[in-house]
Formats: sequence, C-alpha cells, structure tokens
Amino acid sequence: MVIAPPGQEFLPRERFDALLDLLREGGRTIMGSKMRDGAVVLDEITSVDDLPGGWQDEQSPGRYRLTGDHGERLFDVVNGPMSWKQFTFPPRQAVASAQRNPDLSATFSARTPDPPRLAFLGVRACELAALRIHDRVLAGGAFVDEDYRARRDGALVVAVQCTRAASTCFCASMGTGPEVRDGHDLALTELEDGFLVSSGTADGARLLARLPTRRGTTAEEAAAAGAVAEVRAATGEAVALDGLHNRLMDQLDNPRWGQVADRCLACANCTMVCPTCFCTSSALRSDLNGTVTVAERVWDSCFTVGFAQVAGGNFRPRRSDRYRQWLTHKFATWVDQFGSYGCVGCGRCVSWCPVGIDVREELAVIAPPAVQPERGANRPAAATPGRFDIATLGALRNETADTSTLRLVPRDPALLAGLPGQFVMVDQPGFPAFPISASRYGSDHVELTVRAAGPATRALLSQPTGAQVGLRGPLGRPWPLQRAVGRDVVIVAGGIGLAPLRPLVEAILAERARYGSVLLTYGARSPADRLFVDELSAWAERGIEVAQIVDRSGPGWTGRVGVVTGLLDQRDFSARPTVAFVCGPERMMQTVATVLRDRGVAPERLFVSLERHMECGIGLCGHCQMGPFFVCRDGPVFAMSELGDLFAREGI
Amino acid sequence: MSEIRPPRLGVVKLASCDGCQLTLLDLEDELLAIGARFDLVEFPEASSRRSDGPYDVLLVEGSVSTPAQAEQIQQLRERSRLLVTIGACATAGGIQAMRNFGKEPAWRASVYPQPELIQSLATATPVADHVNVDIELRGCPIDRYQLLELLTALRLGRRPQLPDEAVCLECKRRGRVCVLVAGGVACLGPVTQTGCGALCPSYARGCYACFGPREAANVGSLSAWLGADRPSGAVDRLFAGFTGYAPPFRDASARAMATFQPPAATGEEPD
Repeated sequence: MVIAPPGQEFLPRERFDALLDLLREGGRTIMGSKMRDGAVVLDEITSVDDLPGGWQDEQSPGRYRLTGDHGERLFDVVNGPMSWKQFTFPPRQAVASAQRNPDLSATFSARTPDPPRLAFLGVRACELAALRIHDRVLAGGAFVDEDYRARRDGALVVAVQCTRAASTCFCASMGTGPEVRDGHDLALTELEDGFLVSSGTADGARLLARLPTRRGTTAEEAAAAGAVAEVRAATGEAVALDGLHNRLMDQLDNPRWGQVADRCLACANCTMVCPTCFCTSSALRSDLNGTVTVAERVWDSCFTVGFAQVAGGNFRPRRSDRYRQWLTHKFATWVDQFGSYGCVGCGRCVSWCPVGIDVREELAVIAPPAVQPERGANRPAAATPGRFDIATLGALRNETADTSTLRLVPRDPALLAGLPGQFVMVDQPGFPAFPISASRYGSDHVELTVRAAGPATRALLSQPTGAQVGLRGPLGRPWPLQRAVGRDVVIVAGGIGLAPLRPLVEAILAERARYGSVLLTYGARSPADRLFVDELSAWAERGIEVAQIVDRSGPGWTGRVGVVTGLLDQRDFSARPTVAFVCGPERMMQTVATVLRDRGVAPERLFVSLERHMECGIGLCGHCQMGPFFVCRDGPVFAMSELGDLFAREGI
Repeated sequence: MSEIRPPRLGVVKLASCDGCQLTLLDLEDELLAIGARFDLVEFPEASSRRSDGPYDVLLVEGSVSTPAQAEQIQQLRERSRLLVTIGACATAGGIQAMRNFGKEPAWRASVYPQPELIQSLATATPVADHVNVDIELRGCPIDRYQLLELLTALRLGRRPQLPDEAVCLECKRRGRVCVLVAGGVACLGPVTQTGCGALCPSYARGCYACFGPREAANVGSLSAWLGADRPSGAVDRLFAGFTGYAPPFRDASARAMATFQPPAATGEEPD
C-alpha cells in the first residue's frame, strides 16, 4: 500500500550531491547517518562520502554490527542508537536561569529558543511517527515546550523509504511503517542507480522542482513499491495490537514482571534510544557564589532511582516496578494520555538492551493475544477447500525401509515460496487429501518426505515419475526463524520429525553467521531409521553440532543408544537466550520440552510442530481444532508458552 | 548573601594515593573562588597551615587500613559537622581491599621485604564501615565537576546533585556508541554509578566500575550475559578492581580472588 503520488521523480545516483547542495541553502546544516565507533550515528553530513555507502546493519537483541562491501547504496543501514530527538529534543538543554540580586530580589529568565537550522536526511517512517508523537506530547496540549516547537518548525525533513529491515524492526505491527505516508518535506526511495523522489509539502515541492531529475518510470515505481512491500513482509506481525491496552493493564500482577526484572539491568538504555521517550529532569548549575543558577532539561528515565524519589522514599523501588511502568506506559497508558501507542516499532530498545531483552517477547508472554496473529507470511496456491494445483512427480529417493523423499515440480510458483515448517495438502484422485510438511523448498521444486503409513501415502509413494498430484499450499505458520537471529539455537528431531526441520537447518546454513551456536540432536528408532544420513554429516561440517542417538543399536553403529533427551543431559542453555525448535512424536516433544525448560530455554522461545487430523488445511473444516487454535491455520508451529496446559494433554 | 564566616574546610587522607585530593587542586579556574568561599584550615597536601578541627566540612580520602587509622577516623568524625568521603578507597575500600579476601599475610609478604615491620589491619575497609558518612563522592579518582558541584551546593545549602544511576545514561546523552552492544566489549557501565562523564566508553573501553555499584545493580544478569562468550572466571575478574569489595561486587570478587595468588616476594626494595 505504498502511496506513490503520480509523477515521482528520478534522481540519478551520481547527482545525489545536488540534493545536498539544495538542502544546505540558506545556511542549513544537514544531519544524517554517519559511521562512528561501529554504529551509525546522526551527525553533520558535508558530502555524500559521509553517508554509509555500501554498509548494512545486522541487529538482534543486545547486538549490533555493521558489515560493508554491499555495493553503493547509501541508506541500507536501517538505524543506529540515535534517533532524531537528538536534535528536536536534545539530551541536555538550558531552559532558564535564576539570579539572586544583592538587594535580595530575584530574577527568573526563560531562555529564548534559538535552534540551529537543520535538514534531517534519511528519516524513516517509524521516525516520522515518533516525531508526530512528540508533536502531541510536547507541543499538542495546553502547555508547549517552546524549544521543541522551535526546533521542529525549523527543520526540513527528508524521509527515506525502508528497503531493508533489521530483525529487530516491527513497524508494520505498530502501524507506523515501513511506508512513508506523511510528515515529510521530501521522500526518497533508493533504487540501484538512483532515487525516486516525491514531495510532501509545498517547501518540498519547491526543492523537488529544482533537482536535476527526470520523470520516474512505471518500472522504477514498481521496483520501489516492491522493495518496501518486501520490508513489510519481513517485519511481520510481532506485536498483536488488538485489545493490547486492556490485555496489558489486566496483567499488573503477572509474575513475569519479576522474571524480566531478574534480567533487566534498569540501566535506562531502552529509554535513551527510544525515539518517543520524553522524560527529563532539571539539572542545576550554579556558580560558587550562588548568584546565578542555570536550569538544564536533561534526559532522564523511569528506570533511575531518582525518577520516582520523594523525601519519604521511592514509589518504584524495584526493577520490576520500573520495567512495568515503562512497558505499560508505552503500550497502554500512553494511549489514554496521547491517543496513540508510545512505541513506533523501531526496535532500538531490543538491539541496545545490553542483555538482549526483547519487548516483543515480553508483551507476548505478559499479554498474549487471544489467537496468535503470526500466520504464514506468504499467499498459498489453491487456498479453497475444493481446489488443488497440479504438481508433477520427479525422482524418488528412499530414505529408510518405509520412508522416501519425493521431488515435485508444481505449476504454480506460489508453492515454491514456502517457509521452513509450512506444509502442503496432497491430493490424489480417489484418495483423501493429507498434510505433509515440506522437507525442502527448492527453486523449481518442493520435496516431501513421506512415510508409507496408510493407503494414501502408500499410493503416493508407488506413483511413477511424471505422474501428477494435487497440491495446496504452502500452508500454516512457519518456524519463527527470525526469533533465532543472534541467538543460540537447539534443534531436536525425533524420527520423521527431522523432515520439517530440514528446511530450517538449510535456512540457518544459508546465513550461518546470523546465528550463535547451533545444536541439532536427532533420535531415531534404529540406525537404519535415520533420514538424510549423508546430509547430517554434511551439516556437521558446516558449523552445526550434530548429535545422534538411536533406541536400538544396529550393524556398524558406534554412536549413542537411548532416548533423544539423553543428548541434552549435559547441556545448559541458561546463560543466554536460546531458541529451540522441536519436532517428533508428541510424547517425545513433551519430554524434550520439559528437559529444555529445566536447562534454561524459556517457553516463549521453545517451538514445537504439532500433528493433528487435517482435511482442508485452511481452517475451514474444523478437524484440527485445539483449544483456541486451528492447528493448520494458527500452527502447526506453536511456542510452548502459547500452548500452556493444552500441550500433550490427553483427549484434547 | 551576608557572610558570618566562611565554613571551615578540611581535607585529610587515610590509606590512599592522594589522587582524589589532587582533583581539588586541579580545579584551577575555581581555586580562588573556593579559597574565598571556604576557610581551608587543613589540607596537608597543599598547605603547611594545619588544624585539628573542628571542621564544618571534612573531605576524607582513603580506606581504613591500619590500627592508627581506625582510631583516627573516630576522632575526625567527632570533629566534623559534615563528613564527606572522596574516592574509591574511602567509599569502597579501594584496590587495597583485595587483601580482604583471605590472603592478607601473603599480600603483605609479597609487597614488603620485611613484613614484620608493617602494622596493618587484616582488612582495608571503607570509612562508612567505621563511622557515619554524610555524603560520598565516588570514583578513582573523583570527578572534578562532582567535587565542584558538592562545594557549590554546600555553599548554597542545597542538596548536591550526585545522581545514582547507570553510566549508560551519560553515554547515551553524549551520543557515545555502546561498546558492549556494538563492539562486544565487556563493560560494567550498566551496574556502575555515574559521575565520570562516561569517560572510558568514550575511548572505546569498557567501564571498569571505578565509581562502584549503583543502586539496583543487577550484577547477576550482566555477568550471565557477558559470561556466555567468555572463558570461565573472566567476568568475575572484571569486578575485582578498585570497588570490588563493595557489597554488590563482593561475591564476584571473592570468586576471582580465590584463584589468585599474590606474587612471591622479590626481597628487593621498591624504586
């Protein structure tokens, strides 16, 4: 839903300096992204070389890194620790002075705002939302912060559409981005060889008219819109807003506040990097004679002890009090006070928390939505109960005595866009349809690893190459791989449960550096019952620790014998947030979940893939209902924290 | 402001290196004004004029390390209206408090060629372990601006602004990039009291907590996070520094010191 005003103009990359020249007119200073000390900060831009050309950011909870050599693009670093409040609402600002005169009279003088003339270059959609929030908080009520108002009025805003997202971004959830809609004088979208430019105000239109541009082509506009749409898909729906205010305020006594306080340092970094946090204290600077005292407005935080201190004590003595104050203000009471959330989804509080506390995760645990919103991120082919798309069977590879991997070439490319953990419904004339998780999504084919468990699966495995079958998919919620970026990963597979985990392993290997240590533990009935035997050893050579165990030994087996939890006995995952992905028989998953929890994996980071009777795969037939969920539509992947008592309970 | 008489200011030391007292002399631009506003009756590092008190304000540097000092601090307290401890030694015990973790004789033998001549207590402890302290200035050394704020506030009769918050706030206000998040550097800023102006992180170093623990310091959580990709024991050693004897850091310091042996005595006189 990119608003592409008719007549977006195209500014060639080699003429970008013309924009800088225009912005500098009238003595303006340009502020934009500049690399310093391993991050991008907001600082004066004197030439295009100051911008982080070819650099990208890699962000995850508690971690921020820049990587270079990504070409020429100027705006591929999504954000850094600073927001624009650095300039609209500076960390330290003299506001008044007071003087005691020799005759004991007193003089109080407010400082007259005298802001520098600035142009903000590269303001993201979430930042525009943050500025709008500050407009309401600081200048939209009966009393106005005059310094803020003057700084805001004096600044020229050049927005940039996001064509990359960090793993910490969640603007789409918060409804603030990634599309730039309003609040800008100019808006840029970066393409490979230049920029599409549009204006949002009369000032912007006047500037645009003087830029050395030509009309943008339809293809360029489509490319720009497509790039932003990809960011929307990537940021997903990490925070469910529906009813969030009441869900959160109902949880003031939730024990999780105490648990997060065990991790929280109350260091205030989240509030310092937040583009909407506006709390300040007054700091006094007096001369030794005590005649003149200057009062400064200084950024403060609800996480400091002094913030809620009175003569008789402190209203928020505990870290849990302070964390609760912050979170409930951002996501509930801010709405009461200012008519919007106090969060714009920029993700800074996630990245810059020194111990990686993820606000999305805390919200999901403290105030879980009635039904999880995170669905399949892609649009399935043939998503009606009656329709299937045609796929042609290719080669078949035997894995074990009763299990084989089929290669299918679908007609509809939508079937190839599946994500790890998603499944397809397979239909053959004369047989009931059945669900199978894909064991690989290739560039032109899908692989299904099928065990001959009944007539329909036996029939499928006996079809010759070239036979056609019907497919509907990809369906269901995938493994939330995004949650594992920057974290340690433990994957636990039992028997054929390795099949839905195989695309997850391949996705991790494709970007191995994005994850911490990765452990795959695999349990099978016997050595001959193991799937993907060659691949298991190949994975081990590519940076994944692979541990295997079998219930019963067999010829040539020198490895361990026992149940899969035996591979976890010596492990401890409590030192840092670890994400677990588990698939196998439900009893096995139950045991594994208990062991992993004891070893320090939090339930909201422990994901299982459930099996249920499914007929339609799209939440219409009712077979797979489980508590508040349809497993096909809301799962099959669930966090343990979502399932709670439902998991592994008999007869549900 | 009518003056009756300027307050009598004293500056004394116990076991310490004198660096914090020097901070007062480093206030070069303000020294004359301080001299005019305070009656500097005792400051052996700077003046031969001496006084046994009483003092309106007494700045005490250093920790209590000898039997004589344990007696001296009681007398100083009796003669002072306002007693202010300055620096990591006076407020937390200082680096010499490392001997408090159970190896005092070995340390003494390691440092002095004739340890039997040395009369020291088994522990070096902060002044507040012995007498009531009115105000603390933290740091190794103390921050000149905090010292100036203290003197100014005392002169005006208002409470000095010495915030007890993490170093992180000042890092962010100054636009510093977090060395921990962006550089993987072990930094104790989140659990350390502010006041230094975020000095070390401004030079891409981790904070080593010379201002000591702040209120609500969550040492366990920070240690667990830092320890995840560091060798066992490495994080404990970070805490075993100038303020390692301060209660929130003491357990980690004790673990670190348990595996640390004082070096053997060389038998040579120090330079």
